[in-house]
Amino acid sequence: MTAPTTSPSAGPLNAAKPLLAVEDIDVVLGRGWRANHVLSQVDLKIWPGEIVGLVGETGSGKTTLARTIVGLVKPRGGRVSFDGNEISGLRGGARRRERRSGHVQLVFQDPLRSLDPDLTVAEIVGEGLKIRGGLSGAEIEQRSVRALQQVGLDAGLLGRTPGQISGGQRQRVSIARALATDPQLLLCDEPVSALDASNRNYILRLLSDLRDSLGLPIVIISHDLSSLAGIADRVVVLYRGRIVEDGPVGEVFSAPRHPYTALLMASAPSVRHDRPLSVHQLRRTTADPAAPSGEAACVFAARCPFAIDACAQQPPLEPVAPGWTAACLRHEEWPALAGERSAASASRS
Amino acid sequence: MSGNPPPDQVLALEDLSITVHDGAATAVRGVSLTVSTSEIVGMVGESGSGKTLACRAALGVLPAGCAVESGTISFGGKDVTGLSRRGWERLHGTEVGAVFQDPSSYLNPNLTVGSQLAEVLRVKRGMSRREAHSKTVELFATVGLHGPGRVFHQIPAELSGGMLQRVMIAIAISCDPQLVIADEATTALDVTIQAEIIELLKSLRDQRGLAVLFVSHDLALIRELCDRVVVFYAGEAVESGPVEEIIERPRHPYTQALLQVASVGDFQRRELQVIPGAPPPVGADITGCRFAARCPAVIDACRTAPVAFTRLAPGHQSRCLRANDPELAAVTETAMAAR
Repeated sequence: MTAPTTSPSAGPLNAAKPLLAVEDIDVVLGRGWRANHVLSQVDLKIWPGEIVGLVGETGSGKTTLARTIVGLVKPRGGRVSFDGNEISGLRGGARRRERRSGHVQLVFQDPLRSLDPDLTVAEIVGEGLKIRGGLSGAEIEQRSVRALQQVGLDAGLLGRTPGQISGGQRQRVSIARALATDPQLLLCDEPVSALDASNRNYILRLLSDLRDSLGLPIVIISHDLSSLAGIADRVVVLYRGRIVEDGPVGEVFSAPRHPYTALLMASAPSVRHDRPLSVHQLRRTTADPAAPSGEAACVFAARCPFAIDACAQQPPLEPVAPGWTAACLRHEEWPALAGERSAASASRS
Repeated sequence: MSGNPPPDQVLALEDLSITVHDGAATAVRGVSLTVSTSEIVGMVGESGSGKTLACRAALGVLPAGCAVESGTISFGGKDVTGLSRRGWERLHGTEVGAVFQDPSSYLNPNLTVGSQLAEVLRVKRGMSRREAHSKTVELFATVGLHGPGRVFHQIPAELSGGMLQRVMIAIAISCDPQLVIADEATTALDVTIQAEIIELLKSLRDQRGLAVLFVSHDLALIRELCDRVVVFYAGEAVESGPVEEIIERPRHPYTQALLQVASVGDFQRRELQVIPGAPPPVGADITGCRFAARCPAVIDACRTAPVAFTRLAPGHQSRCLRANDPELAAVTETAMAAR
């Protein structure tokens, strides 16, 4: 809304400063022997008007990262800045004011569980505005109706409860709730994982349209790579709490530089059989030499068929091309090595 | 109506109709399908299309208020439609195994996964404690669990979703059934784990001649795994045939639309398609084709009388008046792209 949004795909190269900057975030959940390092040295910048896809499997820290950004999880180290102001260090009243401003909105996974079943759609969508205060009931209703229109829902749904509408409509209500406070950044946690293919495409198209019409930057957390390919500008791949690859979606998906990104791509089901690499070329087998292990080793080494002794040290995220970083020592060598491996199934290690 | 079933036929649903809400509405209408030894058959459709209900009928575990209205279910040529609860219990495990979406809700959280499988073996196959233990470890190895001896002593909370689903598959195949019914068995899993489970089902088919009825809303996944597919819409089978054939030459507008919205693994930026409209409510009284209201290729004749499930080629059937119209695919594609 404030910064240039003309060409979304141009993203980082011509915008002056990022809207959101996550710098060197470490998150540890639990304490003592239960302590679990969920995020390590995560750096992420979101530029105005871009759609960023955040991918990774269960337990990779995607949801924790989103929750850290909105302040629901307190990081042990690092900082989160929004529009140049640090928000991770805010306490008490300042923290509350920032949250109530609704600048950053989170759309939760599974709308059936995140929407109060006893509230009507009108109450759900208007709640954020009511908490922020300063608006009359009529104004709140007017803005709720507008938010519903933005997601393609009829104002007639205002009196229904979440149990009385379909799954696709519920997800749209979640998005409308987030839009009601005029956010400057939208974080969507697995917005489509519970939906069938047609509804999934509908929601993704809706998010893409919102970016185009409002210039709203959106982070979409997903494990479905093929749908992200349709709308995201940039893709960020997380593996066990670390970003392993971050780059423009077209480039990353045509020639991934981290073997984990390639494995995710090869595992995604497709109606056409036209993959460059099969999963068997990207999985460790019993024939592969032992991978380095230990605390300091590359997070992916234990599953990586291309791990060498040097992988005993976690490589940092380094530029592999303009606007594209990957955390792999062998990012130039492994694609050729993968091509030489057998595409057929072999025994697993 | 047919004489003797083919010897390798495992499951046959014949003209099966199922009512819900104590008979108030018909949710599955005249569905017929067969699954043979070493065959993986997919069922695909939107939520509410009746695919899960048809599966549950084939397992003899219809929810309360639902009943088979007409038609037959048979295993290996034996009619089991009106079987008593005890009768179905004898079939469970030995004739047919089942795997569902959420493995953790089917396992007791307080017992080790090994003891839960061993219990099945002791009850169903009369094994001794020791035999059941060694057979369990063997089955855990068969389904690709690492360190099966250690996994035996773990409780469900200590295992990941993918490992739990492997345990469920081990339980499903423990009494050597000829058929496993998998209802959205990989939906809750990560893509990398999903790919492994798909491979496991394929290898069980190859090694044991297991037949699988695989239910999913994802046509891409069906393509990866199945030999044949039945497409469900609003309680009816609207198209069925070999997977390759259905993907390459779909002959029903709904299948064509499903194909347009399915995931493509080339990761190219393309316009994301949407099937316009919503399916009719369960049990809606529609005279003609149930897809007519959403169909881009609809003609007047579609709305006047029910459309027959017509054979187009060996093993390929479609419930569409225009199935033989060479223009059909082009009409559907243009209509969806124009939106």
